[in-house]
Amino acid sequence: MRRSKRIEALDARAVNKDGFIDEWPEMGFVAMHSPYDPKPSVSVENGVITELDGKKREDFDFLDQFIANYAIRIDRAQQSMAMPSLEIARKIVDIQTSRKEILEIISGITPAKMVEVINYLNVVEMMMGMQKMRARKVPGNQAHITNLKDDPVQIAADAAEGALRGFSEEETTTGVARYAPFNAIALLIGSQVGRKGVLTQCAVEEATELELGIRGLTTYAETLSVYGTEKVFIDGDDTPYSKAFLNAAYASRGLKVRFTSGAGSEVLMGSSERKSMLYLECRCLYVTKGAGTQGIQNGSVSCVGVAAGVPAGIREIMGENLVAALLGLECASSNDQSFSNSDMRRTARTMLQFMPGTDFIFSGYAAEPNYDNMFAGSNFDAEDFDDYNVLQRDMQVDGGLRPVTEEEVIRVRREAGKAVQAVFKYLGLTEVTDEQVEEVTYAHGSKDTLKRDVASDLMAADDLMKRGITGVDVVKALAESGFVDLAESILNMLKQRVIGDYMHTAAILDEHFQVMSGVNTPNDYMGPGTGYRVTGQRWEEIKAIPHRIDVNEF
Amino acid sequence: MEVNEQLIRAITEAVVRQLHTDGAQNATQSLAGKTRMRPKHSYEGAERAKQGTDPKEVVIGVGAAFQTEINATIGGIPLDDVLRNVKAGIEEEGMTSRVVKVLDTSDVCFMALQSAKLSGSGIGIGIQSKGTTVIHQKDLYPLTNLELFPQAPLMDLETYRKIGKNAAKYVKGEKVTPIECTNDPMVRAKYQVKAALMHIIETEQLDPDKGMIVWEGAR
Repeated sequence: MRRSKRIEALDARAVNKDGFIDEWPEMGFVAMHSPYDPKPSVSVENGVITELDGKKREDFDFLDQFIANYAIRIDRAQQSMAMPSLEIARKIVDIQTSRKEILEIISGITPAKMVEVINYLNVVEMMMGMQKMRARKVPGNQAHITNLKDDPVQIAADAAEGALRGFSEEETTTGVARYAPFNAIALLIGSQVGRKGVLTQCAVEEATELELGIRGLTTYAETLSVYGTEKVFIDGDDTPYSKAFLNAAYASRGLKVRFTSGAGSEVLMGSSERKSMLYLECRCLYVTKGAGTQGIQNGSVSCVGVAAGVPAGIREIMGENLVAALLGLECASSNDQSFSNSDMRRTARTMLQFMPGTDFIFSGYAAEPNYDNMFAGSNFDAEDFDDYNVLQRDMQVDGGLRPVTEEEVIRVRREAGKAVQAVFKYLGLTEVTDEQVEEVTYAHGSKDTLKRDVASDLMAADDLMKRGITGVDVVKALAESGFVDLAESILNMLKQRVIGDYMHTAAILDEHFQVMSGVNTPNDYMGPGTGYRVTGQRWEEIKAIPHRIDVNEF
Repeated sequence: MEVNEQLIRAITEAVVRQLHTDGAQNATQSLAGKTRMRPKHSYEGAERAKQGTDPKEVVIGVGAAFQTEINATIGGIPLDDVLRNVKAGIEEEGMTSRVVKVLDTSDVCFMALQSAKLSGSGIGIGIQSKGTTVIHQKDLYPLTNLELFPQAPLMDLETYRKIGKNAAKYVKGEKVTPIECTNDPMVRAKYQVKAALMHIIETEQLDPDKGMIVWEGAR
């Protein structure tokens, strides 16, 4: 066949490098609704749920049992279930119905009923729902801070710059697992250099992550994964109960925690039980709620390639974010994983969370070039900072970031590097040279930095764990190396665990270490003229992007 | 040109007919009712892999579809070559290798950990049929590892050889420099759907009662 030049041009477009697949409910490749999804139902006898979504109590798997026992308000169940799904869907969009009233209704519905409600909403209605149901009044943003070399100096510098740019939380992970304690310490130090009060976490294997948290080397945790089918839970050596226990372990030490889930994980692990991604994610979110954790990172997350590959997949992602908010959970709404070769498509996907605002629009945004993003690439990276700032300015939307100057960036990067250098020296870890700090200060990514002695780093990291180094040792190291102000900041972060207020739903800290959560600053949106508006000082900040024409110099 | 009503009707009908046919051609193919990717392989009579005692061995645990339903990684590298290179890497360091097929899990961390537990040295390697690989040690938590290579499309034979070498070095208790990480931030966009399909092929071949079986090369 002679080829059409038009079609050839289209075939070469970036979007056509993406993976797409037809709906296949038998294998779980279906976003919003599977013919095998159960019909909503509930029976209550003597204060116990005896039937849930068409299943009798004796046939419950452990997810059904956990959900029936802990995630649905039994005193509300019959009343809420009697309300037509369409009516609930309309109330979610209705500006006359308050967030509080919706939370009350939703507290009594089952996962299958939730699926029905969400299926009535198109994406604009979902965005309207999120605008009202988000827990915290002011939206927020989270960064990924990683690099290919697991270079602690770069982690500290990128964390400092990210904090300066406005991220309220920063998350790291490793290329080589045993680097975890170094990455955690570097992130803890760097974040406080950029802006006081930024929360940090290190996403690694759960037992290690918990230990880092208990030692005060991180200030929150996020990677407690839950799944929508029993098989996938068991394959991961877990149950809803073990996750609830892990959550309680963090809580016992005063650490903020959220769970993680998202569409496509069950498909990717080959155990979807023929159910839709939305239904399985609803089960995850009910387990999350039942486990008593304050929030969730969801929106397909690391399986977004699967969700985005099926029809209405991106709608489903926004749908599951909304379900989290409807259940009263803090929602860190993903956007943290690359899924498309097309700039147009990846931007469009993010607008669904960016425009209404979520507790954390990204979870997180790669605050380094994507080649250094060890979560296998985020949807936006450091090279998109200015685009993002312009989007905030164009639409007068608060996406959680702000423009910065080159001078500030260089200053905080250097200071973070110097602080890590001092702490490593004080604690007797591997050497950080002046030259290394300088290279990282001016670097864009790990291609611009010096090589580290990996084998020695790993031995020092193991040794650090064996010696029982804690956050208090980091404070001491900083204070005795002349970084008194920074030592004070990290001590303040440790104090949060005693105060405990930042364990409330959707909590972040301002630069004075004051909590802003869904409890003390709740979202009160009820239509035009209410809720959070971008005004005053914050609007001035957003307006001041670089590269504006200076009329006086024109 | 004379245009009469009859002609207009005839053209309209032809266009409508064409539209209907196009519509049918463009509709997504129906996968409804399809319940598996490949027929089930029989492991009748397979020999169960034994607990190792040789302190010099590294056990390589391959996925359930390895060299049977799947013959090349997601990046297109033949699995025969993958295995040959991992084994060569181990042998170059003076250690020995033993290959088993893991039929009770398709999770690469558990595959690697089970292989490590079976291994006389306590070091094992798990390799999924799509190419994802983990080096594990018997006394570590399941979801941690000595080295993990999560982005299978980026793997090459040189890396598989280095994996063999590093695994052998862990056996010897040497100070090991992990193989440098590689990262393609667009890997998910290009490969995740294919990865899901390959994992389905692997998972549907599981035969938990058989556990881990002796697997020396293709059959």
